[in-house]
Amino acid sequence: MSARRPESDGAGAPMRRLTRRQAIGGAVLGAATVLGATSLTGCGSSGRSPHPDGSTLYSTWIDPLGDGQLQVGPGEPLIDRVALGPRQRLTGELARIAHLTDAHVLDASSPARVPFLARLGPPVQSTFRPQEALTTHVLNGAVNAIAATDPELVIQGGDLIDNDQNNELENALTLLRGGLVHPGSGHDGYYGVQSAFDPDPLYYRPDIDAPRHPGMLTEAVHPFQSAGLRAAWLPVLGDHDTLVAGELAPTELTRALAVGNRALWQLPTNLTLPAGLRLNPSGSPDGPPDPEFVSEFLRQALAGPTVLVPPDSRRYELSFGEATTRLWSGADAARQPGLAAPSTTPGEQLDYVRDLGESVRVIVLDIVRRDGGSGGLVTAQQPGWLAEQIADAGRRWVLVVSHQPLLDATGGELILAVLDRSPRVIAALAGHIHRNQILPRPTSAGGYWLINTASLIDFPQQARALRLFATAGGGVALQTWMLDHVDRGRLGTFSRELSYLDAQGGRPMGFRGTGQDRNVTLYRRSVS
Amino acid sequence: MNVALGQLRGALIEAWLALRTRRRRALIAATGVALSAAMLSCAVVITDGLGGGFPRAVKAADLGDLIVRFKPQPASQVVRRIAALPDLSGYALRTEVTDATFAYRGHSTTSGVAEVVGSGRRQGYAIVAGHNLRGSGHEVLIEQGLATAWHIKLGDTIYVRYLAPERVVGFAEGPDDVGYPLAAPRIYLSRAAIDAQLGRHSDPEVNFAEIWLRNPRYLNEVLVQARDESFGLQDLQFATRSGVRVLIHEAAGIVIDLLVALSVIALATAAVMLASSSKAEVQRRLRAIGIRRAVGASRSHVTLTQAVEAMIVTVPAATLGTFVGWVATYGPGDRLLALLNEPGPGSALALPLLASWLASVAIPVAGAAWPAWTAGGRAVISLLRGADVKRRRRSSRSWPRRMRGHGDGGGSLTGLGARFVAARPARLVATSTMLACSTAFILLMIALAATLTSLETDPQELGKHYELTATLPPSYASRVAQIPGVQAAEPRYELHAADGYALGEIVDVVAYPRDHTLFEAPPLASGRRLRGNDQAEVGVGLADALGLAPGSRLLLALPSGQELRLRVSGTVSSLDEEGLVAYVPAAALLAADPSAPSQIAVLLKPGASQAAVSAALTRLGAAPQTAAGAVERGAPLVAVLKTILRAVAIVDGLVCIYALTQACALTVQERRRTIAVLRACGAGAGAVRRLLLGAVLALVAPAALIGVLLELLLLGPALSHLAASYATLQLRANALEILATVLGLALAGILTIWWVARSAVRESVVTGLAS
Repeated sequence: MSARRPESDGAGAPMRRLTRRQAIGGAVLGAATVLGATSLTGCGSSGRSPHPDGSTLYSTWIDPLGDGQLQVGPGEPLIDRVALGPRQRLTGELARIAHLTDAHVLDASSPARVPFLARLGPPVQSTFRPQEALTTHVLNGAVNAIAATDPELVIQGGDLIDNDQNNELENALTLLRGGLVHPGSGHDGYYGVQSAFDPDPLYYRPDIDAPRHPGMLTEAVHPFQSAGLRAAWLPVLGDHDTLVAGELAPTELTRALAVGNRALWQLPTNLTLPAGLRLNPSGSPDGPPDPEFVSEFLRQALAGPTVLVPPDSRRYELSFGEATTRLWSGADAARQPGLAAPSTTPGEQLDYVRDLGESVRVIVLDIVRRDGGSGGLVTAQQPGWLAEQIADAGRRWVLVVSHQPLLDATGGELILAVLDRSPRVIAALAGHIHRNQILPRPTSAGGYWLINTASLIDFPQQARALRLFATAGGGVALQTWMLDHVDRGRLGTFSRELSYLDAQGGRPMGFRGTGQDRNVTLYRRSVS
Repeated sequence: MNVALGQLRGALIEAWLALRTRRRRALIAATGVALSAAMLSCAVVITDGLGGGFPRAVKAADLGDLIVRFKPQPASQVVRRIAALPDLSGYALRTEVTDATFAYRGHSTTSGVAEVVGSGRRQGYAIVAGHNLRGSGHEVLIEQGLATAWHIKLGDTIYVRYLAPERVVGFAEGPDDVGYPLAAPRIYLSRAAIDAQLGRHSDPEVNFAEIWLRNPRYLNEVLVQARDESFGLQDLQFATRSGVRVLIHEAAGIVIDLLVALSVIALATAAVMLASSSKAEVQRRLRAIGIRRAVGASRSHVTLTQAVEAMIVTVPAATLGTFVGWVATYGPGDRLLALLNEPGPGSALALPLLASWLASVAIPVAGAAWPAWTAGGRAVISLLRGADVKRRRRSSRSWPRRMRGHGDGGGSLTGLGARFVAARPARLVATSTMLACSTAFILLMIALAATLTSLETDPQELGKHYELTATLPPSYASRVAQIPGVQAAEPRYELHAADGYALGEIVDVVAYPRDHTLFEAPPLASGRRLRGNDQAEVGVGLADALGLAPGSRLLLALPSGQELRLRVSGTVSSLDEEGLVAYVPAAALLAADPSAPSQIAVLLKPGASQAAVSAALTRLGAAPQTAAGAVERGAPLVAVLKTILRAVAIVDGLVCIYALTQACALTVQERRRTIAVLRACGAGAGAVRRLLLGAVLALVAPAALIGVLLELLLLGPALSHLAASYATLQLRANALEILATVLGLALAGILTIWWVARSAVRESVVTGLAS
């Protein structure tokens, strides 16, 4: 007989062998799904209502006909993934956590936005989204869904805001703690590129373009009340939280633009940049943009046609210090039980540790570049600090959280090397790439799961619920499923619809991931 | 069963014998049925053939829901963009080479279009003969219109510049554009075969994408996303399936819809005529029916005999008429469809034609049977009295007296004829209605034919009202306006601008200082006319390209480098520049570009001499030009359309003459005895003709009046409205056309009088008195 060997589990990772019972169960489930989809096709409308708590275990949004129209479909049951350990009986819950990331709460009326860059195409993209005026409503819906799961802890995974603006952060923090949210800026009203009076057909204008949603923008900037998370939450710093458009460290010019009354809506015609200038001289796609390039670009752009919008001093751009401090204080993290001191002062680096009793330790890493650029950058001190915190965790299971995925970050391999040696690490959570993804990382120490959660701004606009269980035999199982946002009004639904249609968004990019990336039980064997 | 068969056999024999004794009358009835059937058949061929042409073409070619043209891009990049669209079902990429040179025997072109297509199943064209490209060897597909015009046959070889001689393996029709000669000649080549000849490109450049959707209902959503995905593309043009339909109809003129509408009118006219003539036939034979009833024939037997007799006449006549109508219109209709790159209905026309034939048979048979059935129910004595007027005695006494009182009685004889006709009010109404419909129909066709002719050269038909332009400074407008014969003159500013969004659309910007609708007023498709200096009307083509709608903003980049920002007040169905037109206020245009080029647009008074005004303009130092027509290379189309109109008009004219003759002949037949009395009293052929003149006048005069009014007040405006999607057309007949039509009716009346009077005086007086 040949020896058993691991099977592929997507992306070249080992995959479990299905038992007969699992195979039959899967087949029945598949058949049920197909039948469900068929009945939807036949009816033209599912006739279902979405689950009131947004749990995709019970219902989720699907496009059964492939025509770009979302309907409520059946829930997605949990799938067992056993690449890092066999399926075992769950013996007791150790932690209940939620992970929301990349909310990108933004001020769509801000003159500091650069929506026209979207028409340059890759690599510049997503500087304009058809649903961008509705980010506060989506985050509010995600907060509602997360609150319904009654988590012990919510991890806000970074990019809470989009453009490093004070009013964006104010709104986002209000949404998380509860209170009255003021989505607009300037005078009352909407002053962005999606206005019906904007003649540019390259922007989706809900009053004119299909799908038409007259009055959506007016409604979008109307103040509304948020109930808040009603749970402790941890801030993770993202590039958009501290960099303009997630790329650029604020400059005098961008600061003036943000609070001023001149907005750039169109790509400057006859744009000529000095020969030899490059947007990104480092050569890395995630590296910092060349300030000279940006300065020259903005100088030429501002010489061209601009649009007058109401000025607003509340739109000022945040410094790194203010952004991290306000995130820290906004989460009231210092007073949360089980918090270990951050590695440095909060105003500088947002690395810290939070214990959930004697079972779980959450380690947050801040790998945002300070000089600009969206990619992650591991500092020289972080691997050592991380190793200390893991060692200090004792018998606790460890979850490591960063905004940028460690696999893609510069220096990320140093962090992964630390994790690879640690038998108590069970997962590394991240966001940034806006994609649901779960990869096993088998190591000699037992391995861990690299978990990525989709954004709230691009389709599928989902957050992630996580429950950690002890299993028979001393291992653990991490159950995770996606949460659809549940906005009580219509704006959340509009946002999901528009994000799905968006040709530069999550649908064509496959951000929803596969079934293996969403509702799963991730087993991890015991390693002594 | 046997009883029924026996009855049928009896009815057949009886009907046959009856027809043998009235051969001439049967022939006349058959002629009427044949003419009506021909008209109906024309209507069916036109309606089904032309009305269903585009849907048929779309189905045959599997035309995409969205067509995108752009400057050449690597195929892989285009594929990535298309794949990101929602609701996507499939796509095909092409390289459309314009100004291609190809030749076949004596023919050649340097402005052809070569479509280099890939290997997918869906390509957006239909193979109408031969087979599709196989991707190997020297094969070429030729557009059907080109093959017809150049007499290319399958298996022939054409010469395409840069390529080896290519063998024609099939004829194609691509409904995304009209065919040659309305558009440039088009051929299709396989990319694989081209690569084999010229070298392979791993990522060839394409400039044409045809996109199919899962649910075309969401086309607008897809269009929004397609614009979003258009970053970096130049000369971008979107065309939707419905947009293509509009473009093709623009290219074909408005006549397709008009012909469809006309055929409906023809159908109604034919139905009225058939029913009334059948009823009249039975009315004429009431006495014969009375005799049969008197000798014991049952009511059903009388009805059956009448129906069988009608069938014997109708079936061959309807068959012949249907065939003639089909022959008269099918060929031209097919030629017209080929010009539009649309397939003919083919065998699918058989069913509608069968239905038309059945209607042509059923209506006269029912029309003959029903009066026979009702007549059969009347008292025999009443039937034996025949079809004379009720107050016969009183009337017959008074007429000779009147005749005596007026010498030769000319006036009274005319009045007597009119009274004869008026004595049968139902018949009078039916015949007059049919004649009125025909009059209106013929008037409309005359107006339409004039429109078709002027469509080639006269821009007024396309929404442009001015006749002349003069290259003079704007300040000369008032002086030009004072030239005798000039109704109005104003500067007309025109320049080409680019859309302000890097989509690469070139927009024809037209501006007038005041109300532009006085000079050119393409019909509104939506919204309203511009009011104020911050508004614009845009062509539907531009609206489609830029996603404009009333209320949205238009941004144009002018050649001066300035921008023009306006609010869209409405969209207009302009034929110019494929609808990429914007009408803007001159004040706004001049504020952005004070040096915008201009001419003086000159609107002439009705009837004014264009030559005289041109001469006056020349004296002012201008070089006057006649405003250019918009239909180019349209002569073949117009010729075909005229052929169709002519065929329908001829059939309608014949129907008209037949109906008039039938009605008069029927009246004379009913009044044989009275006419015989007149002749016995010395009335000659002239007197009979005068009597018939009265009858004809009674039928024709109200019909002519009603017909003219019908055309002026209903049909003309209604069809103008129908055409308003494409052009401003004046389809109300003018005085000359009305006069010509009335003269035509008069001629038909004279022919009728001559024919019926000749028959009437052939009968001996004694026979008439004995009848």
